[in-house]
Amino acid sequence: MESAAISIRNLSKEYPGTHAVRGIDLEVFQGEFFGLLGPNGAGKTTTISILTGLTEPTSGSVLINGRSITSSPIEVKSALGFVPQEFAFYHALSAMDNLRFFGRLYGLKGPRLEARIRDALEIASLKDKARKVVGEFSNGMKRRLNIAIGLLHEPRLLILDEPTVGVDAHNRHALYTTLETLNTHGMTVLLTTHRMEEAQRLCHRVAIMDQGRIITTDTPAALIRRYGEGLVRAEFRAPVGKSLEERMKSLESVQALEGRDRQWTLTTLEPEKTVRALMALKETADVGVRSLNILEPNLESVFIHLTGRRIENRTQI
Amino acid sequence: MLYQIFALTVKELKVLLRDREALILLFAMPLFFIFVMSWALQGVYEAGTKERPIKIALVNNDRGRRAAAVILDLDGMEGLHLIDSAEGRPLTIEKVQADLKKGLFPAALHFQENFSEAVGNTAPDSSGKEAPAILLADPGVNRQLLRSIQDTVQGVIRYHVLTARLGPMPQAPGLKGSYAGHAWLEVRLVSDFEHQRKPTATEQHIPAYTIFGVYFIVLTLASGLLREKHEGTFRRILTAPMTKSTLLVGKLIPYYIINLVQIGLMFLVGWVFYGVKLGNPVALSLVSLALAASANGLGLLVSAVGRTEAQVNGLSVLLAVTLGALGGMMVPSFIMPDGLRLLSRVTPHAWALAGYHDVMIRGRSILEILPECGVLAGFAVLFFAVALWRFRFD
Repeated sequence: MESAAISIRNLSKEYPGTHAVRGIDLEVFQGEFFGLLGPNGAGKTTTISILTGLTEPTSGSVLINGRSITSSPIEVKSALGFVPQEFAFYHALSAMDNLRFFGRLYGLKGPRLEARIRDALEIASLKDKARKVVGEFSNGMKRRLNIAIGLLHEPRLLILDEPTVGVDAHNRHALYTTLETLNTHGMTVLLTTHRMEEAQRLCHRVAIMDQGRIITTDTPAALIRRYGEGLVRAEFRAPVGKSLEERMKSLESVQALEGRDRQWTLTTLEPEKTVRALMALKETADVGVRSLNILEPNLESVFIHLTGRRIENRTQI
Repeated sequence: MLYQIFALTVKELKVLLRDREALILLFAMPLFFIFVMSWALQGVYEAGTKERPIKIALVNNDRGRRAAAVILDLDGMEGLHLIDSAEGRPLTIEKVQADLKKGLFPAALHFQENFSEAVGNTAPDSSGKEAPAILLADPGVNRQLLRSIQDTVQGVIRYHVLTARLGPMPQAPGLKGSYAGHAWLEVRLVSDFEHQRKPTATEQHIPAYTIFGVYFIVLTLASGLLREKHEGTFRRILTAPMTKSTLLVGKLIPYYIINLVQIGLMFLVGWVFYGVKLGNPVALSLVSLALAASANGLGLLVSAVGRTEAQVNGLSVLLAVTLGALGGMMVPSFIMPDGLRLLSRVTPHAWALAGYHDVMIRGRSILEILPECGVLAGFAVLFFAVALWRFRFD
């Protein structure tokens, strides 16, 4: 059994008037890429704050690489890299000066520091921008620098809090590739996100968090198999009558049916089977189908199934 | 366009009104100035009036009666109050000199044994003899004030010299006049310098300006910390493997260095351009080190208490100017009303000013300025302690 990079037992955090984290248990194994999913206000950032030593828990225990964050903060933080959601560097300094400053905080010095700065700039694709003042960077460049700072001291565990907020699709995929490479080389990664596709692509396992509690933990595939619902959206050539409506509802793989007139949505765990069954109906052939759209089950639908609510979508650039 | 201006104005007011503490400071600041400055300046405008006479110590060693006549005239003047005894005993020159050092009086008048003789002597002889009346003063006394005391006393003495030499003149009742041309009154500053020297106005004021300027570090330090917290870099730094005290020390050292450079530059300018004498460099440095520590402590305290930029700015300026006024940077403390003078002792500014004056214009030794340095260090410790108690790292 792999040893745990992170071991959380009955962790709680209360603020006046609010219970941000309510007795969660969590384990992240060495070398794992783990996702913490949930909407805003779920308690993800508070959990991260406790893991990184920024705030103390009200109760419960947190072990990182076998050490307690509260009793051995210096040792724990030495092996931990953190990438916050906000751009946490000095806009008035150059990328190199920022990296040098943060590297020194982790005890890096001399040739090793310079080598790590070069590597970090390489990973972040900022080598030719090293001496440029960060305030002049684009958002994508800032986001990459933000991550590069977290990687400077070659941490065993990297914690990222919503690392791709405000990043365009191209840069996002570049970041995913970088993180996947780092994970392949043995780095344990804990990522918080509300992007389902991000968690599905990157994470070996995910925990879904809502209102301070962890609802479930498993691999994305297993969660989708268990809870995910796909959608089949059909547009018919003529308004659907009562008999076709009843026939669609009675299809074995259909869990729910919504719609009116020509536009209908079938909720199903097996979209392809549902489409075949739908197209085999005589009533479908009588009315005729103009278009079919299939939405495969995903973690979003898992979340909806488990909480009855949608995760908020942020504007994607 | 007008509508957009209206929308912007409404938004700005709403944001401002939400920051209650900042608003309190904005309105409290001018009110504070009115109360404090009016109270402090009361001494300036009323000093030397019937309501607030200037208190001068008196030692009369005259063998004759002429000093007593001068004293009678001086005492009858509105705006002057001569004090010749303490605890039922007549003041001696030694006691008066000690009291001057302590700042109990701005000046003291000493009529020497030969006063009557010198005043009545019709053959003026000014060859190297000491003046028959000495006006002792603290080197830190405001020069204009000292000048006015000197002129007043000198005027009365000259009148009595005139009447002494001309004798009674019933044909000219109420005669006014003076007999000048001789040094009847000598001004002597009570300092530990080997050679008597009169401090210049610049030497008196440069320490005050320096202290005033040093405390503006409070604003820079506090707003810098707040900005780091708001920009997220503070949070990031806290995830690095170091203690919170390491973080704070690392943050404070640059501001401490800036303060010391500030102080050095101010005194350098004073020395180069105005010939200011700086006194014992070690003593000067000790006062400066303690002063900078207290200013940085106050800066950290403001950063711990202020939650928004407006609060930090308001509180910093309020403290810098109010403490400066209370501490005697704008108004000499000895002409403040008694209550305010007592209050000024609760400011680090007053102690820093006393320390600098002791070194630069009173020629005190390192040992003698240690109490002032100790108090300043005490202020620093107090500010840091409260700041650390209130400081929020998250």
